[in-house]
Amino acid sequence: MVEEVKSGISQLLRERRPVEEPYGEKGYHLSVDMAPKDLIDVGRFFKEKGFYLACALCVDFRDYLELVYFFAHHEGHCRVKVTSRLDPQAPYAPSLSSVFGSALWYEREIHEFFGVRFEGHPNMAYLFLHGGIDFYPLRKEKVMVSEEDRALLNSFRPEEGEDTFFINLGPQHPSTHGVLRVVLKMDGEYIERAEPVMGYLHRMHEKMAENRTYLQFLPNTGRMDYLGAMAFNLGYVTAVERLCGIKAPPRAQYVRVIATELNRISSHLLWLGAYLADLGAMTPFLYVFDDREQILDILEGITGSRLTYCYFRFGGLFNDVDEDFITGVRRFIARMRGRFQIYDDLVTKNVIFINRTRNVGVITRETARQYGVSGPVLRGAGIAMDMRKKEPYAAYGEFDFSIPTGSYGDAHDIYLVRFKEMEESLNIIEQALNGLPEGPIMAEKVPKKLKPPKGDLYHVVETPRGELGIYIVSDESDIPYRMKWRVPSFANLMVFPELVRGCLLADAIAILGSLDLVIPEIDR
Amino acid sequence: MGKEILPVRFAVLDKVLNLARANSLWPMTFGLACCAIEMMATAMSRFDLDRFGAAVYRATPRQADLMIVTGTVTKKMAPVLTTLYDQMPSPKWVIAMGNCAISGGPFAFEGQYSIIEGVDLLVPVDVYVPGCPPRPEALLEGFLKLEEKITKTRRFPGPEKRW
Repeated sequence: MVEEVKSGISQLLRERRPVEEPYGEKGYHLSVDMAPKDLIDVGRFFKEKGFYLACALCVDFRDYLELVYFFAHHEGHCRVKVTSRLDPQAPYAPSLSSVFGSALWYEREIHEFFGVRFEGHPNMAYLFLHGGIDFYPLRKEKVMVSEEDRALLNSFRPEEGEDTFFINLGPQHPSTHGVLRVVLKMDGEYIERAEPVMGYLHRMHEKMAENRTYLQFLPNTGRMDYLGAMAFNLGYVTAVERLCGIKAPPRAQYVRVIATELNRISSHLLWLGAYLADLGAMTPFLYVFDDREQILDILEGITGSRLTYCYFRFGGLFNDVDEDFITGVRRFIARMRGRFQIYDDLVTKNVIFINRTRNVGVITRETARQYGVSGPVLRGAGIAMDMRKKEPYAAYGEFDFSIPTGSYGDAHDIYLVRFKEMEESLNIIEQALNGLPEGPIMAEKVPKKLKPPKGDLYHVVETPRGELGIYIVSDESDIPYRMKWRVPSFANLMVFPELVRGCLLADAIAILGSLDLVIPEIDR
Repeated sequence: MGKEILPVRFAVLDKVLNLARANSLWPMTFGLACCAIEMMATAMSRFDLDRFGAAVYRATPRQADLMIVTGTVTKKMAPVLTTLYDQMPSPKWVIAMGNCAISGGPFAFEGQYSIIEGVDLLVPVDVYVPGCPPRPEALLEGFLKLEEKITKTRRFPGPEKRW
């Protein structure tokens, strides 16, 4: 597949050649630099080949701004980095939004943080930042907001029609699971248009990353996605290890898998409870918290915290697991298998639940590709992509597990996928416990102050919500030059306006819940 | 018998009312960030906030008398938070849960452009519960402190003083 893309792009561009990159160190197979005017042609080429736009970002190199696009494929194993240099004084680029739906929001994000204007973009209103901001936060030098952009701040004005009205869902609303705001244009009970407004929890993680060392940034990762803190920890730690060439010992890798999978179950359990509470069922909420506390007890024993873990270190773990942990996990697995039967009887066969979720929010494969959806939402649509299998990290390559997929892509399928994923997680944990090797838990000679070699890296892991991509640019100092987090919830939320068009307000809640959003992760 | 008139003493009435208020605090469903999950855990069966009559979470501020600020307050969220506070009927109380709500926590650094460093800059806070996030036990202690503030007596003996 890499060869095919390489020759295709060579034909398309003629004067610029794609460069093959070492996948093991960089995390992508090909990189190609081009003039901004060629971006749309190349985007169309990737679209025809069935690629999706995984991430778009910008890096400020002082002399120039670099736009970076990552294209990846669901089935084939090929990731391409497309870059384009812009003039920092007048950064203009063509918009890819006509080709990829996901470009719509990524470009808005780049615009407000770097001041890049995208020509042909339908709506450049600010997405994250508050109305009082007067500079572009992620530029290395302080650049004041231009007059044009000042007009775009707080530019969201609902336009009411003759027969339509607006409903403001959030930011304080029990079913948005946080501080998401969705402005719904209603025609009676039916939704005409939905416009999510974010940034109510923008905590500047990417800015903070440029202000502190690699180790100092580690606690932030747990606060980005508080439900899947382990997966975010693991993603960050493995990314930095890959960048520096550190190898964690096998015991550490196995414990990482156990801890992350336990955390995945607790995240899915909380989703299950909260989702059913949204749909009007209170009982499962109480049940899942009972099970969740069991996991929290186990994890608290090794990490010391209940929610925002910071357990992994570069090169290993913070401390070793003991016999109590292992017996505790075994007891939990036995208990949980019985509990799944209860949930199955209580929820899966519940006729109210089936009627609320069947044929609601159907995501087709085409829509999923268009918006770069990932995680259980993507697998519910029938595409079996799981980064644990596709690009194994930690010790995931050594375990035998299956990827559950749905067939219709509706909210019920997504529920079933998450449910089966919990069972698969138990299988993984059991295998890891049986094969837990003895030995050290930290790699030898890991320097206190990490100074990765010059270069960049795009590292992907599977969090409970989907594909997490971490892009790190290093300039050989102990502080990252730029760190971009491609978060799963952000991409999954992009599909929401598409899904709710023309559906009932009550169904919008069911759809929003099925996406399993964590707001701090979206806002970062 | 008939000559005596019941003395009308509002102080006593206040005492009774405060006792009722302290034992039926109705918090607002207002989850901001990570701490909201611990707030939910506090209300669930293991920690059972219902023991203190305080787990009747209301989705609207007009039925609530306690706001638990559970997470980072950003500049974009600030007007929403003050509006919600204004919509709550008096008497009302505020618990600042977690370091973010107390002082900005880990997100307060030089050159930050997005967060409010402490919710007490926006609304008066009665009880501060530190932690990142605080454990459910800490939030329970916060509730007891608030009850103490309202009724001037403590329902349970406090934690042992070891230091």
